Amino acid sequence: MASMDKHRYLGWASAAIPAGLFAWFAAQLPAIAAGAKLSYTFNWLPTLGLQTGFSLDGLSLLFALLITGIGSLVLIYAGYYFTPHNATEPATRPFSEARFFAYILLFMVCMLGVVTASDVITLFIFWEGTSIVSFLLVAYKYKDAEARRGATKALIITGGGGVALLAGLLMLANVAGSTQFSAIFAQAALVKASPLYPVMLGLVALGAFTKSAQFPAHHWLPNAMSAPTPASAYLHSATMVKAGIYLMARLFPALGGSELWFGLLVSAGFITMILGAVKGLFQQDLKAVLAYSTISQLGVLMMLIGWGSSTAMKALAVGTIAHALYKGAMFLMAGIVDHSAHTRDLGALRTLGLRKYMPLTFAATILPALSMAGLPPLLGFLGKETLLAAIEEAHGGLIVVVFGAILAGAFTLAQAAMLLFDTFSHASHPKSHPSEAANHAHAAKYSDPPFGFLLGPALLGVLSLVLAFDWLLEAGPITTLVGSAAKAAYGDKVKVDLALFQGFNLPLLMSAMAIAIGLGIAQYRHRLRTKFGSLWLLQPVRMDALYHGFMRSLEFTAKQATGLQNGSIRTYLSLMFIGFGALTLWFGAWRWPAIANPFLIEAQPLQALRIFSLLLVVAAALASVLARRDLTAIIALGASGLGVALVIALEPSPDVALVQIIVDILTTVILVMAMDRLPVKMRDAAYKIERQEHILTRLRHLTIAGGAGLFMFMVCLNALSGRPRNSIVTPFYEQQSKPFTGAADIVGAIVVDFRGFDTMIEITVFGVAGAAIYSLLRYATQKHGDDLENADNITQIADRPAVPNLEILGRATSTRGIGGRVPSALVQLAAQAILPISIIVAFVHMLYGHDQPGDGFTAGVIVAIAVGLMVLAYGQIDTFKRLRWLRPGYLIGSGWLVVMLGSLSPILWGQVFFSPFDFSVATGLDRFLPVGASISTSFLFEIAICLTVIGSASWMLQTFAREPAKITD
Amino acid sequence: MNSQDAILPIAIPLAGAGVAMLLRGWPKAQRLWTFGILMASLAMCVNLLNHVFSSSKPLVFQLGGWAAPFGISIVVDALSAIMIVMVQFVMLMGCIYALDAKDIAKRYSVFMPLFLTLTVGLTGAMLTGDTFNLFVFMELIVISAAALTAMSDDRSGTEAAYKYFYISQLATIFLLLANGLIYMSYGTLNMADLAIRIKTDALAGGPMPPMFTLAMVCFFATFMIKCAAFPFHFWQPDFHAAAPTAVSAMLSSVVVKSGVYGFIRMTTLLFEPFAPQLQQVLMLIGAIGVIYGGFSAFGTHHAKRMFAYSTLAQIGFMLMGIGWGGTLGIAAAIVFMVNHALIKSAMLMLSGYLASKAQIKSASFENIKGLGKYLPQSGVLFFVGSMALAGLPPLNGFVSKMMVFRAGIEAEQWAWLAAIGLASLLTLIYTMRAFQWVWFVPPAAGVKAKKDGDSLFAPTVLILACVVLGIWGESLVSVAIQASEWVQQPAAYIAAVHPAK
Repeated sequence: MASMDKHRYLGWASAAIPAGLFAWFAAQLPAIAAGAKLSYTFNWLPTLGLQTGFSLDGLSLLFALLITGIGSLVLIYAGYYFTPHNATEPATRPFSEARFFAYILLFMVCMLGVVTASDVITLFIFWEGTSIVSFLLVAYKYKDAEARRGATKALIITGGGGVALLAGLLMLANVAGSTQFSAIFAQAALVKASPLYPVMLGLVALGAFTKSAQFPAHHWLPNAMSAPTPASAYLHSATMVKAGIYLMARLFPALGGSELWFGLLVSAGFITMILGAVKGLFQQDLKAVLAYSTISQLGVLMMLIGWGSSTAMKALAVGTIAHALYKGAMFLMAGIVDHSAHTRDLGALRTLGLRKYMPLTFAATILPALSMAGLPPLLGFLGKETLLAAIEEAHGGLIVVVFGAILAGAFTLAQAAMLLFDTFSHASHPKSHPSEAANHAHAAKYSDPPFGFLLGPALLGVLSLVLAFDWLLEAGPITTLVGSAAKAAYGDKVKVDLALFQGFNLPLLMSAMAIAIGLGIAQYRHRLRTKFGSLWLLQPVRMDALYHGFMRSLEFTAKQATGLQNGSIRTYLSLMFIGFGALTLWFGAWRWPAIANPFLIEAQPLQALRIFSLLLVVAAALASVLARRDLTAIIALGASGLGVALVIALEPSPDVALVQIIVDILTTVILVMAMDRLPVKMRDAAYKIERQEHILTRLRHLTIAGGAGLFMFMVCLNALSGRPRNSIVTPFYEQQSKPFTGAADIVGAIVVDFRGFDTMIEITVFGVAGAAIYSLLRYATQKHGDDLENADNITQIADRPAVPNLEILGRATSTRGIGGRVPSALVQLAAQAILPISIIVAFVHMLYGHDQPGDGFTAGVIVAIAVGLMVLAYGQIDTFKRLRWLRPGYLIGSGWLVVMLGSLSPILWGQVFFSPFDFSVATGLDRFLPVGASISTSFLFEIAICLTVIGSASWMLQTFAREPAKITD
Repeated sequence: MNSQDAILPIAIPLAGAGVAMLLRGWPKAQRLWTFGILMASLAMCVNLLNHVFSSSKPLVFQLGGWAAPFGISIVVDALSAIMIVMVQFVMLMGCIYALDAKDIAKRYSVFMPLFLTLTVGLTGAMLTGDTFNLFVFMELIVISAAALTAMSDDRSGTEAAYKYFYISQLATIFLLLANGLIYMSYGTLNMADLAIRIKTDALAGGPMPPMFTLAMVCFFATFMIKCAAFPFHFWQPDFHAAAPTAVSAMLSSVVVKSGVYGFIRMTTLLFEPFAPQLQQVLMLIGAIGVIYGGFSAFGTHHAKRMFAYSTLAQIGFMLMGIGWGGTLGIAAAIVFMVNHALIKSAMLMLSGYLASKAQIKSASFENIKGLGKYLPQSGVLFFVGSMALAGLPPLNGFVSKMMVFRAGIEAEQWAWLAAIGLASLLTLIYTMRAFQWVWFVPPAAGVKAKKDGDSLFAPTVLILACVVLGIWGESLVSVAIQASEWVQQPAAYIAAVHPAK
């Protein structure tokens, strides 16, 4: 035996905490019984009116004592459980299982929180905590697939119940107007009269039923037996599964007593009771028998709460104590057997005859087994007596329930007999009698555990006996506890007399019947098991059909759902257009325009030119769609843009038209360059694929595109016929622009003054676009096979493209123009000459942009186009080698900074951020400037825009004009 | 506090981005600078939040001193203040994650400047009081995020960026159209001014301007794309699987919130008289989102995709809160937004962390199954994060879930409540299943964690924040309730922006 093992110390040490708590809770008993109520409240979420806190009454105390008492025994026990049985087994690492003790303590905190919560929210918080810790404990041996499956199942079922419970509790609190139990109880009449009553009761019951393993949610419990045995004993028998019982008992004063309550709880409890009792007898696994017997007992308790009489509540309290004691002990015993024999299979155990080798364990099992069987003079007997007394008394002693209870009692007795004898006794079959040698081997292998290991089950068994004689004392602790717990649950005083013999009455008779039948079943249990064991109904549940079906349907639905995300942007956009169409129709936003609007046919100056420009736009746009060659399409698109510029110029809005023209040119240039990077074959292939599409697909595309076109047509016609609009802001701009911004041109004033902030962000966008294209094409699309480790180096040289390091990228330096063709010297000369001219033009634009058409943006694009010409003439490498100042990243960055500084500087003169301000006037420099020019915030702004635009556009040019990496087509 | 300070959360990162552009040649300095800028900016946001709540009136800055509606107004009210603190805190965490990430993308010289411009875009979209200015900021968000994604190490990063860009361009068109139509109808773009005019028109009972409803629909569609609501969500899952972790964590947590924020402004300010109609649709879309997102998340086998779908579902919760309306509904949506931002960014970072530790850099479950054996610390974080995402106490997710439930119960919306109940259960199922796959299932032969990988610092801080906001939920809930009360009273907002009216 590994004496060095630290787990035992850990067990004993950690048990001190619950033991201390147990003592404290026990000390509260007299005061609680006298009617005192300990409570502690704190404001967790006062804004939401949530008074959270804890309070201790009889019912809470009953559960708290069980939790702490059994908890300490389980912790001590666990210390031994995680120690190898004997020296032949591999020793555990010290504290390797400390996780388990932490979980158990954490669980205990959660469980105590549940039973002492004074409001529904606190209860729910700890309730969910128990589910999570239970998940961790069931999956404790997580390498085992079975354990993981069991844990998932338990979590899904109790988690689902948790969601329902939260909804139910919040509804309850909403109707009662408070989350506090005391306030909710005070509003019980209101709650029961509420039309929501059935819903909230259903939801709360769903939460309780899933937690307490009531039919049909019971099947997670047998699977949860993959947890280490101390956890099974503690969580899945003595405490956690009783949380649902506690909850329903707690809410009885608020929700209980109705027909629905009775029907729901009694029927669920009844079915669960019978099902657990019968199925348990047919299990092979020791823990599975115990699990089903637990299920049965939980059914009994749930049924009692449904019953709702004062005697039922008394029976509930007695039954809870009795069950916790004997079932805890039985589970712990099962753990000891498993620990020693390494099997829990009843068939295998029967061949061993463990009684001989483990007499003490056998002896310790006798008392709890008798209690489980419901035999006098043990607590289990008292439990059964009170149960039978309760159900024959109120509700006319529903005959089915009475017989069911007798039958369940009989089966439980048979289970107890099976557990006791089949585990420890030897099979009577003479042939399987072990030889002497085997006997010796067994004696060495199987032996009674050390004292501490046995302490838990033995003590619980003894308590099952001793506490049953509580009635001998005047106001004994159990009587007091049961009395105050039943009182708290029932909401009124409950008479408690726990004498073992109450005279020859009906319950005693029924009890005797149950014992008699039980003994019969026990006697013929092997025959029964072989005869009916193969029945489908009695098979041990692995993956219950309901749960399995649920998971299957989840997976099926999930597959359908993800199927929509097929990766094709065409599908996405189609669906989005359809979605938008649906929204438009839903809101009734579609308006047929008044086609016959006079504005459209009214004669205007230059009417012919207007009509021509419109036709140009339409025809060019159509051509760009229909063109066979993509280059033609791009040029057609450019033409369409120029048509738009013409329309704008005729408005007349020369400023905007100018921008439109130059942007159109720049876009066309960049598009052509970009297109040049795509291999011709690839472009042709793309074109062909489109032509080869199925007629229906094309029809669908046509419908969506046509719909979008029709939509825009409607919007445009409406916009036209809606004019002239009366703008709120335009008159203001007209009046204010000259005096305050010094601009005669409203557009200029709007762009850099009134709405300069928009422009500031827009140039940021423009700069980002340049940076984006650059990094995308420079690195991102070429990352595969590139020297990525040197990405930083590449970054640094990016601004100095002529540096020979470019060889890294595998591109030769050349003085060739775009596409590797050498342009004529004339073009080169022109490019050389145009660039400085363009810079001068740009400067003038900026200087006078405020009064004249043109601005920083135009200026920037003009320079960029000139740079573009250079690139065409010399190729990008040479161009950027020649133009050392042209370093896109720095231009963009400084553009952003100049605009920021420019708009901040008025603050120095007591103005605000973005105020229009003329520095030349403020500093007296205006005398030296040419007429009409000034150094103002708007001028700085124009410069900034220009810098950013040059930077960004030339970055794009530089990127697109690079000889593409070899793309094999 | 000077009203001009309202611009600082935008101005600081914007100026920072300019300097970061100039620091391209000095990567270390650039990263340090970005971090410092985000810290400073966050401090400013917190300061603003504090100021707005202590003075209990919105802080308005009229840019250039032009009175509304002629210039652009920057409005920090309670809602915006909460939003920008959320955005900038998460962005800071994203930056920290990126600093220590092994992504090659983050070493590109424009990564950090773009990270800053993304912050500018998000902050601006939540501070502006002008619909066209909103458009401009939305553009900045899209272009920055698309570029950041395109740089990803992932093979399909470019494709993801392309999809995101394309779909967001659609939103851009809708928003531009919305601006045009609303300007055509009312001749102004200032939100406060518009709100007054629309309300006056609606109260007069006469017909609204012909294109008014369409403008509303266009705004609606824009925000739907922004917050990735069904059926406008398609960019999200494809995007997240491919984007660099630091970026995807930002997009799924804070970028989508710009849409949710937009919906709050739509129903409480801009189109307040038409709120019931809008809310009806929001509820429906929210319900579809929670169900569809929940199922899709369950059906996918890639951690990042799973969380992307999960965002779809979680956004549904928020939309339902807005749909139910009322103080509690809006407050629930706000609390949900903040909590989800923290949780989701942490979870995506953890997924990215796992991918960085795997032999092949992918967060596909096939690839990271069993990897958790070597990475126990991240398991604790992931478990706590999953609990938060599924709304389990004592984490912040529980507070948000409980508020949404309560709002639904108060609004008596039973059918929708059933939908979100199912969705919360689904969340629990798929997150715990993922946890089991990574940390419980024994690794296959040959699966081993790499020595170097991303850092766990940022997700740890975020998860800690989740724990703190769960236990001390009051801090967030009380400001959210106040913010919700403020937005329910648009008169105060309007008066602050537009004192003349």
